[in-house]
Amino acid sequence: MENKHIASEIVRVENVRKTYHDNGVPVDALRGINLVVSQKDFSVIAGPSGSGKTTLLNIIGTLDKPTEGKIFLDGEEVASKNRRELADIRLKKIGFVFQAYNLSPVLNALENIEFTMMLRGIPADERKRRGLTLMEQLGIGELADKRPNEMSGGQQQRVAVARAISNDPRLVLADEPTANLDSATAAKLLDLMEQLNHESGITFVFSSHDPQVIERAHRLFILKDGQIISDKKNV
Amino acid sequence: MTSKIAWRNILRNKRRSLILIISIMIGVIAMILTDAFSVGMMQQMLTNQIGADAGYIQIHKSGYQANPSLKNSIADAGLIRAVLAKEQSSCNVSERLRTLGLVSSASNSAGVAIVGIIPGEEKKVTTIHKYIVKGNYLSENTDEILLSTATAEKLRVELGDKVVIMASRLDGSVGSEACRVAGIFETYDSGFDQTHVYIPLRTAQQMLGVPDRISEFVINPYDTKQTDLIALRLASALPHDDEVLTYKHMLPVLVMQIQVYDETIYIFYAIIAFALLFGIINTMLMAVMERTHEFGVDMAIGMSNKRIFTMILTEAIYLGIIGTAVGIAVSCAIFIPLSHSGWNLATFSESLNSLGIGTTIYPILTASSLINTVLIIPISATIGAMYPALRAMKLQPVEAIRTV
Ligand SMILES: Nc1ncnc2c1ncn2[C@@H]1O[C@H](COP(=O)(O)OP(=O)(O)OP(=O)(O)O)[C@@H](O)[C@H]1O
Ligand SMILES: [Mg+2]
Repeated sequence: MENKHIASEIVRVENVRKTYHDNGVPVDALRGINLVVSQKDFSVIAGPSGSGKTTLLNIIGTLDKPTEGKIFLDGEEVASKNRRELADIRLKKIGFVFQAYNLSPVLNALENIEFTMMLRGIPADERKRRGLTLMEQLGIGELADKRPNEMSGGQQQRVAVARAISNDPRLVLADEPTANLDSATAAKLLDLMEQLNHESGITFVFSSHDPQVIERAHRLFILKDGQIISDKKNV
Repeated sequence: MTSKIAWRNILRNKRRSLILIISIMIGVIAMILTDAFSVGMMQQMLTNQIGADAGYIQIHKSGYQANPSLKNSIADAGLIRAVLAKEQSSCNVSERLRTLGLVSSASNSAGVAIVGIIPGEEKKVTTIHKYIVKGNYLSENTDEILLSTATAEKLRVELGDKVVIMASRLDGSVGSEACRVAGIFETYDSGFDQTHVYIPLRTAQQMLGVPDRISEFVINPYDTKQTDLIALRLASALPHDDEVLTYKHMLPVLVMQIQVYDETIYIFYAIIAFALLFGIINTMLMAVMERTHEFGVDMAIGMSNKRIFTMILTEAIYLGIIGTAVGIAVSCAIFIPLSHSGWNLATFSESLNSLGIGTTIYPILTASSLINTVLIIPISATIGAMYPALRAMKLQPVEAIRTV
């Protein structure tokens, strides 16, 4: 077994600052962020537009590097890792759900889900079986051979969720996953993710300013101008 | 699954893929057909020259090739005839006596090579009898001469007219003979035509006062691939004061030209490969940049750089293979009928004739040209895709995802 402290905390952000340079003008998107996300958390980073939610999520997801500060995933510092190692961490530990779904347009729903499993080297028949099971679980079993452009936003986002969890990640990062969905569809999607959180113990970190999402958070970080102004548990 | 994704991406922008396939195809066709026609043309130059005059093998007295004078002709042909008699089953042989001289009519004269031939035997080793356009080939009559159309025009003579030929004898005196124009020939090679006349061997020997001498034996193997072997056999059977030459010695310029071609064709291949390379870099770069957002997502979900690189290269390899296959098919569709009928270039006949090619070119498809094409083209396509693939690899996931 791992060290207890590390085992219970999956994300640790220490003094993270991020400064963009927009045509030479420095933009401080994150100004000293400290936070810890524990395993099985269903946490939401809320905040107005431009507050730095996406930036923070990208940095946690190793897609971007902080200008200052440290990120620990499962107790491991990620700054020292190279591109290949980071890709591997994302593949094995992290699932991403994007606001714009971002499914591959050339693959059908099942293939989109299989794709991440293929990257992990899971054999074709097992991929297919797992993909179909996941789709059944998420209530999109009948969509297997539909391409993204043949599906509604809600359906695409469910496929995206299935893709995100297909490799049994420890952590799912979802950047405004409901922003493009109507509230009924959004509610169903959130039900689904809550269920996955309960049943499979997957840790979720959302960014959102959607009250529906915030309502369900076990843990709520409120971001403003690149700083956390509120950190509440079990809201 | 990688190959499935590559296919789908190829099919995704059909127009662009089609343009790529067509440019690859054009490269392939250009490579194959240019080579086929060049090789065909050179082979034709070679076989024409071998066929019209040189033959595949000649035997002379040593030194004749360097200084083809009457002095260097063969005085006693008996030994050579005996050696050649043993080769009867492998080749045809004819004897000639040739010298430089003058052919004159009442109105003009021309410096020419006067070639004394045995009409019946000569037919078996060279093709001059096939080029008679007026009158007849030489018969057994001793006073006949064959002139080319060009020479006849220059001398303003017609069939049946008398001309006088003159040449130096061994002793320095001038021998001459009056001949009647029996036939007029016209080969593919205007330069050759202007400088050659044919008379019977006996007439030549008589005019030059050397009844037993000949300048050369012309030998054509039944199987021309045996040329070098037979030449070697003859050389070892004959004393050193005879020289055995194959067409490679007799037509060194042409043979060298073919060798030079074999090397310079690679420059041409390189040009085609480069053109293709840049076309592919351009088009693939466009295709890759359009998919920046998707690559960003792929990277986010954990696709490694290596895989992204491989995926793009796979697409290029498929396009390269399809383009090459279609190109070869189209080349064959053009090549096969033309290899039978030839490609008639009557419009360029003047210049082709001066090159000694003939107006109809029969292309020749060589295995090496096919192998080169099959290697060079798909490899260029793949190399061309490397730069776009590297660019895709270098994308920063966050920026790529932000690109829409
Ligand atoms: N690549 C970039 N270059 C320059 N500035 C950037 C870049 N990305 C983000 N920013 C700036 O950083 C700040 C935080 O942006 P971020 O996208 O993280 O906010 P957000 O909370 O996700 O906003 P939204 O709710 O609109 O998605 C903003 O001021 C934004 O303009
Ligand atoms: Mg955002």
